[in-house]
Amino acid sequence: MSSPDRAHWERITEDLVTLKDTSEMMIDLAYSALLLNSSFLAEEVMMLEEQMDELHIAFQKRVLSRTEEETKPEDLLGIIRMGNVTERIADAAAEIAEVVLRGEEPHRVLQMVIQDAEETVERAVVGENSLIAGKTLQDAEIADETGMWVLVIRRGSLWIRPKPTTRLFPGDVIIASGYSEGEEDFKQLVSGEK
Amino acid sequence: MNKVKKTKYKPAPVRETLIQMKDISELMIDLAYSAALFHNKMLAEEVMELETKIDDLVYLLNMNLMLAARDKRDAEQLAGVAKVGSLTNAISDAAADIASLVLHDIKVHPVVREVFQRAEEHLTRVVIDENSFMAGKTVDDLELAAEVGADIIALRRGMFWDINPDKELLMPGDVVVARGTKDGLNSLVKAARAEVDHLE
Repeated sequence: MSSPDRAHWERITEDLVTLKDTSEMMIDLAYSALLLNSSFLAEEVMMLEEQMDELHIAFQKRVLSRTEEETKPEDLLGIIRMGNVTERIADAAAEIAEVVLRGEEPHRVLQMVIQDAEETVERAVVGENSLIAGKTLQDAEIADETGMWVLVIRRGSLWIRPKPTTRLFPGDVIIASGYSEGEEDFKQLVSGEK
Repeated sequence: MNKVKKTKYKPAPVRETLIQMKDISELMIDLAYSAALFHNKMLAEEVMELETKIDDLVYLLNMNLMLAARDKRDAEQLAGVAKVGSLTNAISDAAADIASLVLHDIKVHPVVREVFQRAEEHLTRVVIDENSFMAGKTVDDLELAAEVGADIIALRRGMFWDINPDKELLMPGDVVVARGTKDGLNSLVKAARAEVDHLE
């Protein structure tokens, strides 16, 4: 395989990994939005859906663009189909979010045990002086300190799925869920303001 | 076409059914990508099995929802729940489409596999041998994540699936699906096949 061809395949696979990660993050967020009846979380999902559409089109164009060697149809079929699947999953997630945004209170059959314990979703912006600015999620110990679990991190127009190695920067928006008593601790820790 | 059976009504709690569907559909996505990347037909077939299970569950969910509606307000709220059920089904259909690539013998480009291997955790499927020391223990007891860096995320016993089994006793013949690092999965597979009598 010539190296431009290899680079082409590496690039489209990286795009596919992004599509896959985004779609899976959307499902997580959509179900959380539903079970916690959180419209702002549902709105995040809708924003991600727009981003997803653009990513998917860029991906498809790249896949179908010229390669150095003759490409087998099977190669293209496989990767295009995997891309389509991420798109369908993202669409389903967006529709789940839409159910939340329609504004019907979730029926009692859906109410989760944790909802009785007043679980909430909160977001906060990482402050310049926050103790967690510059730290990885693992070192930031947000869950230990506040009892809130990080669902997603938004950096500008980029949504990041939390991993232990993800580093936090001032300006990052952290969205987390947990019991409402951890809310204030969470906001203080993340913003660095008393 | 494989067997399509009539789904019989039985009372099932809506929330648990929906959560079960969600768990299964997410497992299917993981299995389907692994099946495609490693061109593994066994994994692909597991996805197809789970797909029929979801099809059943969606009927069951809807039957229970219909009986739960008593007035207009119930109907308004439960329509949303039914919608979510069918969307979960749509997600599982998408996963099945990836698995069907494998069953049609369409392989992914080798570079795709390579890049994914760098980015992703691995998934494997193994049958518990009757001589494996794991047989007779619960998933929790094995402390796999701490011991070897891999974990059992699902098990299948005949037609019965248990997603995220913790307290379930592993039995000879159980098909377990595990996720973790390459090395972790290797030692888990060896122990499950009774090639070694401990986790190394």
